[in-house]
Amino acid sequence: MADNVISLYDVRRYFVMGDFIVKALNGVTVSIERGEFTAIMGPSGSGKSTMMNLIGCLDTPTGGIVQIDGEGTVGMSEAELAFIRNQKVGFVFQQFNLLGKINALENVMTPLLYAGIGVRERKEKAIAALERVGLGDRMKHRPNELSGGQKQRVAIARALVNNPSILLADEPTGALDSNTGRQIMELFEELNSEGRTVVLVTHDHDVAMHCRRQIRVRDGRLEE
Amino acid sequence: MVWENIKLAFKDMMASKMRTLLSLLGIVIGVASVIAILTLGQSATKSITATIVESGLEMVTIFPNRTDKASSEFTEDFGDRLMANVKNIKTVLPVNSSSAVVRYGQESSSITVNGVLSTYAEVLDYHAAEGAFFELTDNITSRQVVALGSEVAKTLFPAGNAVGQYISLFRTQAKSYLVVAVMDAKDASFNLSFNNSVFIPYNTYTQRFTKPTAVGSYVARVSEGADPLLVSDAITEYLDSSVGSSAYRLFSPASLADMASQITGTLSSFLAAIAAISLVVGGIGIMNIMLVSVAERTREIGVRKAMGAAPLTIMGQFITEAIVLTITGGLIGIGLGTLLSWLVADILGWSLYISYTSYLLAAGFSTLVGVFFGWYPAMKASKLDPIEALNYE
Repeated sequence: MADNVISLYDVRRYFVMGDFIVKALNGVTVSIERGEFTAIMGPSGSGKSTMMNLIGCLDTPTGGIVQIDGEGTVGMSEAELAFIRNQKVGFVFQQFNLLGKINALENVMTPLLYAGIGVRERKEKAIAALERVGLGDRMKHRPNELSGGQKQRVAIARALVNNPSILLADEPTGALDSNTGRQIMELFEELNSEGRTVVLVTHDHDVAMHCRRQIRVRDGRLEE
Repeated sequence: MVWENIKLAFKDMMASKMRTLLSLLGIVIGVASVIAILTLGQSATKSITATIVESGLEMVTIFPNRTDKASSEFTEDFGDRLMANVKNIKTVLPVNSSSAVVRYGQESSSITVNGVLSTYAEVLDYHAAEGAFFELTDNITSRQVVALGSEVAKTLFPAGNAVGQYISLFRTQAKSYLVVAVMDAKDASFNLSFNNSVFIPYNTYTQRFTKPTAVGSYVARVSEGADPLLVSDAITEYLDSSVGSSAYRLFSPASLADMASQITGTLSSFLAAIAAISLVVGGIGIMNIMLVSVAERTREIGVRKAMGAAPLTIMGQFITEAIVLTITGGLIGIGLGTLLSWLVADILGWSLYISYTSYLLAAGFSTLVGVFFGWYPAMKASKLDPIEALNYE
């Protein structure tokens, strides 16, 4: 049997909008194996963000089964979902979403804080993660003292630091110029070649071409 | 985690200093006024009590009223009767006073003449600055000697050297008295004035001044170690049963001190309760700023949730922030309140009595305000939907 990190089985996610029911996802079944480099593609409104939220355990499905590294998220409490996010998912966002009042190192240390790890180990791991993304010399800088590419590297370090099962990136190059964007994609490729599972959500065809597998979403269904 | 939250709270406070300061103002003013009121209340009580203590807590003074019953009871052997009936009285001294004019050379002054026993000075801790208070033999032989109060001595003998001189006392006729002592200054206490008085032997007084039908007043000294309040109550009880409450007036510094501290205590608790209302108002200020903070940091909350912060973790962060805010306000308030008390006490000439209980009270109360008013914003933060929070612009 394949080693699936992500398994979606007949996943539906409906939203009630006034008198309407919006079927953002309407019966999606898909698996992603450990070590895959996958792009989830689709135009806006296709349901790809909803799918990302379900994979990232920010949300639970209306119907069907979502399993992340073997754990079904259906019926989990907020606190349990938070634990799964902390342990198994590393988020990278389009707008970086670094915490502005603390420096790069402290940003990277934060997920470890929520994991209940002591301060010395937090520091060691965060330094290692920042060095891994090539920012060993920018650790004491605050986000507003960093360039876009550097910010995104800090965000990737933060996503990596707790050694998650999935690196989940939402339009990671969307706010970067093409040159910097290419460098970030190369970093993802490197991380993938080290054995990390990378899932990238994008509407950009060029970005998706870096990934070895593309999953296309349209109108809440897959068209692989 | 708690430590990180505290550090985080300080970072957020420092990021918007002016706003933080303004939102703290309510708490600062509330705590400062509670501290100032309690501290000043206590200082006032202490200085009032100190004034009373100085006049002799262990003294009870009895003034007979001019009634038939009084004149039969308040005779010269009243002291012996009182001591036989009430425990813990060391001595009872009869005192007769009347006003008179004193003269030396060109200087004259109207004063109070007191006819007292030779033990009077010692019993009242009233000491001679020069010379010595008259003695038992002076009383027995009704000598015309006088001890001058400090003010009287200053008026008659601006250059000093009063002892050994003769002064004249006028009542119905002038008599000449030998000055044997000039007394130390002593604060007046209940109907006993010292500095503007002269003291002559009791028997001299009864012979040379009006022969009294009853003794003017009695000064009773409570035995050492006995509670003056209990003794004065016992005296009241005895007199009420023997002559009735209308026949005398009783002055006891101890009971006055007790009453004074009760009044200031009640007053300052009442004022502090009013000031505490401003703490509640301050708490609403804290709630307001926390709600603003939560709204402003919606995205941050979303990011933290994405990184795995559980709802309770988020709640802890914001509650901690509210508590750090209020405690900071409380500390500033304590400092300000202390400064204010110090200033007022200095202006009024009270000795400052710092009430540490009020510090604890203020610190505890502001923490409570932080928890109470921080609760709702923190809960709001913890319940934010992570997806909505992340997409919040």
